Amino acid sequence: MKRLRAAAEYIDGARAAEALARTFELWREPTSPWRERLARLHGGFSPRVVDAGVRLGLEHWTLEVMRELRGRELRGDHVAPGVTAVWLAGSIPTASFAALALPLLAGSAVAAHPASADGAGPALFLESLRSVDPDVGACISLDAGPEVLEQVDAVVAAGSDESVRVVRERVPPGIPFAAHPHKLSLAVIGTQIDVPGAVEALAQDICLWDGRGCLSPAWVLAVETPGRRAAHIAEKLAEALDRLASRLPCGPMTAGEHAALRDRRGAAAVREGVELHASGDANDWTVVLDPGPERPAPGGLRFVPVVPVGSVRELVEFCARLHPHLSTIGHAGLGGRAPGLLEGLEAGGGSRLCLLGRMQLPPLDWRHDGVEPLRSLLRLVDVEDEHD
Amino acid sequence: MSRDALDRRVLAVIGRGVDAPLDEAELDALALELFAWQHEHCEAYRRLCAASGRSPDSVGHWTEIPAAPTGAFKEARLAAFPESATVRVFRTSGSTAGKRGELHLDTLELYTASLLATFGAHIVPEARPLPFVVLAPPASQAPDSSLSYMYDVAARHLGRGEPVFCVTRDGWDPAAAIEQLRGLEGPAAVVGTAFAFVHLIDALGAAGEQLRLPAGTRVMETGGFKGRSRELTRDALHAGIESALGVARERIVNQYGMCELGSQFYEDSLRRGRASEVKRVPPWVRTRVVDPATLREAASGEVGMLVHLDLANTGSVLAVQTSDAGRAVDGGFEVLGRLPGAEARGCSLAADALLGGAA
Repeated sequence: MKRLRAAAEYIDGARAAEALARTFELWREPTSPWRERLARLHGGFSPRVVDAGVRLGLEHWTLEVMRELRGRELRGDHVAPGVTAVWLAGSIPTASFAALALPLLAGSAVAAHPASADGAGPALFLESLRSVDPDVGACISLDAGPEVLEQVDAVVAAGSDESVRVVRERVPPGIPFAAHPHKLSLAVIGTQIDVPGAVEALAQDICLWDGRGCLSPAWVLAVETPGRRAAHIAEKLAEALDRLASRLPCGPMTAGEHAALRDRRGAAAVREGVELHASGDANDWTVVLDPGPERPAPGGLRFVPVVPVGSVRELVEFCARLHPHLSTIGHAGLGGRAPGLLEGLEAGGGSRLCLLGRMQLPPLDWRHDGVEPLRSLLRLVDVEDEHD
Repeated sequence: MSRDALDRRVLAVIGRGVDAPLDEAELDALALELFAWQHEHCEAYRRLCAASGRSPDSVGHWTEIPAAPTGAFKEARLAAFPESATVRVFRTSGSTAGKRGELHLDTLELYTASLLATFGAHIVPEARPLPFVVLAPPASQAPDSSLSYMYDVAARHLGRGEPVFCVTRDGWDPAAAIEQLRGLEGPAAVVGTAFAFVHLIDALGAAGEQLRLPAGTRVMETGGFKGRSRELTRDALHAGIESALGVARERIVNQYGMCELGSQFYEDSLRRGRASEVKRVPPWVRTRVVDPATLREAASGEVGMLVHLDLANTGSVLAVQTSDAGRAVDGGFEVLGRLPGAEARGCSLAADALLGGAA
């Protein structure tokens, strides 16, 4: 902890931004050795998914974006944390990259607790950052244990509700605490777009990170028309997933995950009115057109329920039942501020609307779970006028 | 062939007992005929078969018969007879998802025949009737519990005197069960759920007491703990029973069963006179251990997913896919709990959490 605090004294957010920008450039390069190494070492996803997910995910993580973010959120009198504890979760490397980078932009060192499912991502990211600017790299440690929670100036915790609760209990009162519990997202396809275009983008959202992320569409809501548009969407989505399976193959699954997928497929197949599209005997992908009336369980692992909705009202009601677990609504064919989208987002407790194809590619400066990423770490200061 | 004729043929196989091997060709023929019958008469199962592109025309061996996963029994009535002919519905115990799997029966004849044959052979192999002490409710109070039905039927056909059911629909008092056990004057069959035995062990432990049940007593336990007691490994449970009740390990038998199946599997400890964890497969059942990723047979000794084909399921679906991990061993299979599942490898909210918190 002393070492981190000392390291942080020699750098500031502006220098960190420059180092991070150069680091992200290294990862974006067409034949980035860093991406290649991570794709080889990660193990939780297929190498092609890691490669594409990182390349596309970092596309707009530029110096300009970081400067704008700093200018926007570090305004006014404030005290930035000297050291921020970051509890990483899950296996998605770009989420870890952002979680490590953001406190640096606020001028804070980072004591990170890596997720058990992704040791390689944070370690390689730190190695690459150190190669660009050793002083900035020295501001991150990846071996934080629970004891640091009582010694740091701010905490960012991702994980299940239970994990976040356990971390929060260790943090002294008055310490800024940003929680990112596990969430769910959904996709909506309206009528103002060609189905093939929409499903190609959607298929990428499904395949990147294999449906394991909180930004992965857990359902596809298809605005229904008399021509059975939802069924058409399900059919075309299945074709798109099949095409993408060779370019972005599914990563390893546990035996229990395979069994659970088979169970879900069988459970869907026996239901009247359900249309099932699947990758033969393999568990690569599954699309289920499920007309209800019950809301199907959320998808994941490239198992995608397509749910017809007849109206904006139904969309909002669907979202409301997810409250407060909704994260993002990806959409196409509705118009960006179409009635229902914002209302649905609000009803579900979500915080992000984006176009299909962008669900897995949040900007570095997005307000994850409605929280300003830098400002949430600060202690804001009021300096009152001295005159009476 | 009519359903009745199929039932008669299966009953004849069961009637030969657990020690009469069923010829592979005879099993295959019966299984394929039953599959064709079920495919024709069960619409939901027909949909499942269509999803995997299989039908009686394309299936040439019993191993190719599409297995219905247990989840399917929660979503549809998997029965090859009209609803009006239903005589009994067994249901799985509740889960966080709320839905319960159902086995619909239009006759109890096969179910009863199968359970008596296997229960008798493995729990009362001497064929000498014994008093039954049952740590589960009677069937009259739990009509949709296959376990209660099994104990009820077994006690009445294989037991001596009126069985004592220590559990009611409102719960149970381990102290009263202990009183019953203390009063035993000769060998008995003490049977019940695993979690009830844990309660019994804990109650005896709290009282600082150990029973010494009469020589010849045997214990049969089954099922998981389902949050109703502390969880123990099977080994620890049997050690606890041995210590608390004074029943030797080789006289404690675990049964593996599923609501969705018409037959059950037992360890043959009592028959062999030494503790065994191998589940014996009745001749009218086949259990395969498959790789859940490919559905291909797992290599010998490899852990995989258990898939059962049970000829006693004539009115339902004879091939059932579980989520249980197992391993084929000489003489049967071992059950190794649930297949290793989804650790936290993503940040997406688990379905159970959503259903528990927001549905």
